[in-house]
Amino acid sequence: MLVPLALLVAALCLALAVWAAWFVVADRAVVLRQLWGAAVVEVVLAVQAVVLGVLQAAGDRDVDGWLLWGYVATQLVVLPVAAAWAFAERTRWSSVVLLVAALTVAFLELRLLQIWGA
Amino acid sequence: MASGPRGAAPGRRPTGTGAGRLLVAVYGVLALAASARGLYQVGTKLQEAPVAYVLSLVAGLVYAVATYALARDLRTLAWSAVVFEVVGVLTVGTLSLVDVGDFPDETVWSQFGAGYGYVPLVLPLVGLWWLRRTGRGASAVDARPPAAPPAVG
Repeated sequence: MLVPLALLVAALCLALAVWAAWFVVADRAVVLRQLWGAAVVEVVLAVQAVVLGVLQAAGDRDVDGWLLWGYVATQLVVLPVAAAWAFAERTRWSSVVLLVAALTVAFLELRLLQIWGA
Repeated sequence: MASGPRGAAPGRRPTGTGAGRLLVAVYGVLALAASARGLYQVGTKLQEAPVAYVLSLVAGLVYAVATYALARDLRTLAWSAVVFEVVGVLTVGTLSLVDVGDFPDETVWSQFGAGYGYVPLVLPLVGLWWLRRTGRGASAVDARPPAAPPAVG
């Protein structure tokens, strides 16, 4: 259950990253539509948090709870904060920030899978 | 709230705009990573290596201070935090090579930040350069009143 969700998160993050990278090359700032893209990632991350909670409550896996939920919380925070920070800038650096944020969330997803042992 | 590009005082730019946006963003990610790790270490296994874990948390908090100061253009605070980081990563990096016992490979600064892709070593140096670069020219216009109120708060 977790692996398909993780793949979805990673795919969405990479898509957002490519979109942002294209804007960097085109010398454009982040547009509202990209923030909606980030919101979609957030929704999937929220679903993933619920799924993780259910799976952990089922208790068939010996996972370090503090570590796991530290990553889940961190992952949820990154895009909203970065989006607000990027949107205030109206140069191409705005898009660079979104690019870094999207790649960060994708990397955290990888670590999350490792912690879960999937 | 952060604002977009503004009419800054001539010769001096706010530290959190333009390429500074990226610097602050990377600082923010590192602050989050180091603070979360430090909290986890101090909260779950402090007795295993108290010095390393407390140091880990302190490093994370200093990154958070640097992030905030750079974002808000608080130069003095930013300088202090970034210099602290340079000293920290060089000191702990060296100690971790010389004496493995006291510094198990558990802090952001161990092995000069190798566990974080050497970002902890490179980032404060970039920070120093950026603070210098955005502040350059400030003395040349000191005689004139500033064109805009300082971007504090």
